[in-house]
Amino acid sequence: MSALTFELKAKPDQRLDLSPLTPARLKDLKSKDIEALPIGTTRVTLTVGDAFKVKGKDVSELRFAGTDGRCDKIGAGLTEGAIVVEGDAGAYLGAAMKGGKIEVKGNAGVLAGASMTGGSIAISGDAGERAGGILVGETMGMKGGVLAIGGNAGPLIGERMRRGFVIIGGDAGDYAGGRMIAGTILFKRRVGRFAGYGLRRGSLVFVEEPKDLLPTFGDCGVLEFDYLRLLERWLRETGKHINLGARARRLMGDMAVLGKGEMLILA
Amino acid sequence: MAELKIKGVTIVETFAEAFPMVGTRIVITAPSLEWALISARTMTGFATSVIACGAEAGIERTLSPDETLDGRPGVAVLLFTMDADKLQRQLRNRVGQCVLTSPGSACFAGLEGEKKLKLGASLRFFGDGWQMSKLVGGRRFWRIPVMDGEFVCEATTGLTKKAVGGGNLLVLGKSHGAVLAASERAVKAIAEVPDVITPFPGGIVRSGSKVGSKYKGQIASTNDAYCPTLKGAVNTELPLDVEAVLEIVIDGLTKESIAKAMRAGIHAVAEGGAEQGVTHITAGNYGGNLGPHHFHLKEIVA
Repeated sequence: MSALTFELKAKPDQRLDLSPLTPARLKDLKSKDIEALPIGTTRVTLTVGDAFKVKGKDVSELRFAGTDGRCDKIGAGLTEGAIVVEGDAGAYLGAAMKGGKIEVKGNAGVLAGASMTGGSIAISGDAGERAGGILVGETMGMKGGVLAIGGNAGPLIGERMRRGFVIIGGDAGDYAGGRMIAGTILFKRRVGRFAGYGLRRGSLVFVEEPKDLLPTFGDCGVLEFDYLRLLERWLRETGKHINLGARARRLMGDMAVLGKGEMLILA
Repeated sequence: MAELKIKGVTIVETFAEAFPMVGTRIVITAPSLEWALISARTMTGFATSVIACGAEAGIERTLSPDETLDGRPGVAVLLFTMDADKLQRQLRNRVGQCVLTSPGSACFAGLEGEKKLKLGASLRFFGDGWQMSKLVGGRRFWRIPVMDGEFVCEATTGLTKKAVGGGNLLVLGKSHGAVLAASERAVKAIAEVPDVITPFPGGIVRSGSKVGSKYKGQIASTNDAYCPTLKGAVNTELPLDVEAVLEIVIDGLTKESIAKAMRAGIHAVAEGGAEQGVTHITAGNYGGNLGPHHFHLKEIVA
């Protein structure tokens, strides 16, 4: 059975709310019913059938083709199954998702994986601000799962994050890991200013030394961390080959708050 | 005595009587295999018998760097007791005093198990608030700051209630040297079998016991029927020309693994043949009424 595919017919003239299109919610629907689902966000009614050409049958794997940055909430609240986006994704990609897998070939908008609790998101391109961050009305950001960004990430990545793992292949913006409660973020390249601002607990692992370090972090020197070996092995098992080594400079902070977090700058 | 012989060594038609136990496995890693072994030996020291040690423990095998979670050399340790509460206490005390303290060590779960035992989840308190919990690939690890860096310890390990303790072989022979050499061969062969340990010194016991004693308060005493010096005085089980008896006790995570280990042990003992001085291989039991697991030697070698 081929994956249920939604191919964008033309650039939509309003932002789309694609949160109804998840395997769990489409499981028992006929294709006619799927095409009738409303996905518009303005007073002008817009249904799936208006915006997308729908093909395929297998609802356990959904595919979006030709999407752009106005296709919001793809995989939001996802609980199971897989979603592949051949194109860009808008805001709230996989926001508050609990399980399943999302793969985006292009870029994602703001708040990708915000307040997610499980599952995995892989974005080949860039992610907007507050990826893995906090949704309005929530008390915590990302609470579990894996968020992998191949390209650059905007500011406030992992804001108020509580648990889970984020990896950024490109550069990250300002306030990376801002107000983080716990969890792990691995930065493979540069970060902006104020990384770890308000960090309570959690680990920020840097392959490259950040240009600006907040003065509210205390230097613990270069040490050996068996934890990095565990991390490297697990990453290798999940297909991410990164040579972390075991030695890193440790800085603890943010001393302006609880101060039990750490930056590990690979040595 | 029925006459089943391997290379002239009589396999007595009897059975080993064994008991249900609870068991767990942990993996200890260190900067070198030598230090992993030091830590494991310390942790499994004074753990020959539950009678007075609280637990029975031993080294199952060594692990190469690509078999361990952190890519360092490691050792797999098995620990057994009679119930889950005792196992939890023994695990905490032994890992806390012997692994946490050992230079460069880390400690990981070695068993999935039906239930979980606390490992790092209780040792983390040593960190006095500076400990950090990290979830890596769905498994939780505690990073506890210590004077040589960090003690990384998995939060829990698995527990099995299907473990079996007290699988055994008795080796009889015409000289102490012959019996000891044959027993050493057996321990070596059993070490190759997965999921089992031989908890006694070098895997071998020379003081097999019987239940009870003539003295009040002494729960176990020497197995006089197998003492060569008492042959003429008691209702002995030994032929007149037997000079020494040694026992190999086996604990395992499953009863199948015990049977495999006993089989390997019997063949290793008999390997030298009767000409080297070993005359009989038998096994210890209490008449079959105490332990639910009976390992009949005849079936095991068949």
